[in-house]
Amino acid sequence: MNTFVDLYSTTSATAQLRRAQKITEEENEEFSDGSWGSQAGFGTIVKGGPSFMVPNVPDPTSFLRLHTDDHADPSCRIKIQHGTTTLAFRFQGGVIVAVDSRATAGSYIASGTVKKVIEINPYLLGTMAGGAADCQYWETYLGMHCRLHELRNRERISVSAASKYLSNLVYSYKGMGLSMGTMICGWDKTGPAVFYVDSDGTRMKGDLFSVGSGSTFAYGVLDQGYRWDLTDEEAQELGRRSIYAAGHRDAFSGNTCNLYHVKENGWQFVGNYDIAKMHYEGNGTGAGPYGYEPRITGEN
Amino acid sequence: MSIMSHNGGSVIAMVGKDCVAIASDLRLGNEAMGISSNFQRIFPVSDRIYLGLPGLATDVATLREKFRFRVNMYTIKEEREIKPETFAHLVSSTLYEHRFGPYFIEPVMAGISKTPTGGVKPFIAATDLIGCLNFAKDFVVAGTASDKLYGVAEGLWEPDLEPEDLFETISQTLLNAVDRDAFSGWGALVHVITKDKVITRTLKGRMD
Amino acid sequence: MASADGGAYSYSLTVFSPSGKLVQIEHALAAVAQGTTSLGIKATNGIVIATEKKSSSILIDDSVIEKVAIICPNIGIVYSGMGPDFRILVTKARKSAQAYWKIYGEYPPTRVLTQEIAGVMQQATQSGGVRPYGVSLLVAGWDNHRGPTLYQVDPSGSFWAWKASAIGKNMINAKTFLEKRYNDDISLEDAIHTALLTLKEGFEGQMTEKTIEIGVVTVPTPEELEQGNIGGETGRPKPAFRKLSEEEVRDYLAL
Repeated sequence: MNTFVDLYSTTSATAQLRRAQKITEEENEEFSDGSWGSQAGFGTIVKGGPSFMVPNVPDPTSFLRLHTDDHADPSCRIKIQHGTTTLAFRFQGGVIVAVDSRATAGSYIASGTVKKVIEINPYLLGTMAGGAADCQYWETYLGMHCRLHELRNRERISVSAASKYLSNLVYSYKGMGLSMGTMICGWDKTGPAVFYVDSDGTRMKGDLFSVGSGSTFAYGVLDQGYRWDLTDEEAQELGRRSIYAAGHRDAFSGNTCNLYHVKENGWQFVGNYDIAKMHYEGNGTGAGPYGYEPRITGEN
Repeated sequence: MSIMSHNGGSVIAMVGKDCVAIASDLRLGNEAMGISSNFQRIFPVSDRIYLGLPGLATDVATLREKFRFRVNMYTIKEEREIKPETFAHLVSSTLYEHRFGPYFIEPVMAGISKTPTGGVKPFIAATDLIGCLNFAKDFVVAGTASDKLYGVAEGLWEPDLEPEDLFETISQTLLNAVDRDAFSGWGALVHVITKDKVITRTLKGRMD
Repeated sequence: MASADGGAYSYSLTVFSPSGKLVQIEHALAAVAQGTTSLGIKATNGIVIATEKKSSSILIDDSVIEKVAIICPNIGIVYSGMGPDFRILVTKARKSAQAYWKIYGEYPPTRVLTQEIAGVMQQATQSGGVRPYGVSLLVAGWDNHRGPTLYQVDPSGSFWAWKASAIGKNMINAKTFLEKRYNDDISLEDAIHTALLTLKEGFEGQMTEKTIEIGVVTVPTPEELEQGNIGGETGRPKPAFRKLSEEEVRDYLAL
């Protein structure tokens, strides 16, 4: 039998079967998409998970592995932005989350005002590294499930559970080109918590993480300044100073730093800081510029 | 990752009224990591000719010495200073000597030449890495930010700018272009060459 | 001085004699001294180089003999001595000029080309298995840097710049004649006539457009220089050096 003809013919037995399946699916739906407006892939949440178009080939996973971004294969054809610096650390006063705001496409700086902290809900923050769309979509999706958890269990989801939900989710798409390196940060019954989750399926609990191309530079500053009993101001300054260092040294990080502080009663946005301004003028407290002498000379 | 963008860096040259300007950023990187914010890639060839060498840093040093040697030999042999036009041809033929194993540099030249009647003529030129000459009448660009430089220069440049205005134009062009390039930046250096002096200034740029 | 039989230092290799002479070179100069007379005169607005062209037989088609050669658009040379040696030098000089053009996008200044030819001739005095070139040359050219210049190159490879000079059979008389006739503000037209008069001094037989060859360097006008000295529809540089046609030579002889 010619399978190709079979697949696309409108009169074959399989085609009739396919049509029948489609009709039953639509009838099983309680309400049509039309009555809800676009559901953008979230629509089938009640049935377990969102559905996506996948390449129409016998083995979509191996097809995608071949053609999409995978850090194991740098020569892949579909490139997703990778340059970033994000960090989060736990300390006596809560969690500090600091990120840069640069988005690059190859060597081109596509944007300098990207929001890389995703506000999942008032108690949870997620950071964005890797594929911007993947992070945005799945962390929003995570937010929906966190809310469902609250409704079902009459209490907030723990950071541990939320992060595990995300890691299980991305693991189910493993090999299909998802690209994310994220830190899920929040405050729950156990106190401040930070979990690292990436698209390989890794999930780690820890006090201090930095993710992205500039992470090594951020770690350099972070490690030498980190203590558990940092004051709130010291901790915020450490986060800022670490992102500055990464923004300075790493070509794919920079522009501005977004700083968040998670406390017992939820997160708060501390501020947005221009890295060039920090270099030449400092953080505004009068402590002097971050850049050292030979690098701050020249004409405006 | 391309060899041409291994170290990053960009150069631009512009023509003004009886003057020319050449400018570059100061970044030396190792791929994404910034190494130096004081890497010179524009060199004087004579009192009135400057040569910018964006590209692979090791070849910047090699070519700089090669051209120094060849220009010195020329000056001694011919007992005269090399003209910008002649130097451009020298650059082109030197690069084409390595057609099948090129230096990873795209030179940019700027200079002032004298006309037979004693007037001055601004001169700029650029070549690709195997020496294809491009004599432009307005501006030439090269390096990792070249596409961005083209965009900004196309918008800012106008004919017959006086030295100070040319300085402002080339500085703004460079600074704004490298702010959109991940591999260029970290400060900048500008030379404005006029008939009787060369004005050199370092610029403060974004350091990220 | 070379002994009658040439002596032990005169054969094949150019080797110093105990008295410090290179006898082979002196022999080469002797060959030049037997050659037909050539001369060059630098004028305020150009240079003329001229030579007599004598055939050993009336059966030779002398229209194809070329003794004044164009090297590149701004330089021409003439010789006294051995014709075959000259042809080799012309080929080398033309190649050198083109090589220079390939590197710098312009033709060499007269001095640089002269140095190049002189270098080739010097090499022949120091290499094994070769003899020196049996020619002296007059190199006339124009360049931006030095303007019109006239050089003489000898078999030894030495060269000088001249205001006027003569080489070959009648060089002593011709030079004496030139010394009398030359002045610093001579025009090109006058120089051409002086050149013809000088040649006439030692000329055997009839001086006609068939037995004379003349090349002239014309200094470009400031206007020509300003527009890059591009001539005609070819877009090539307008040549500063050219050979006079037989008609032009006839007209000069008639005056």
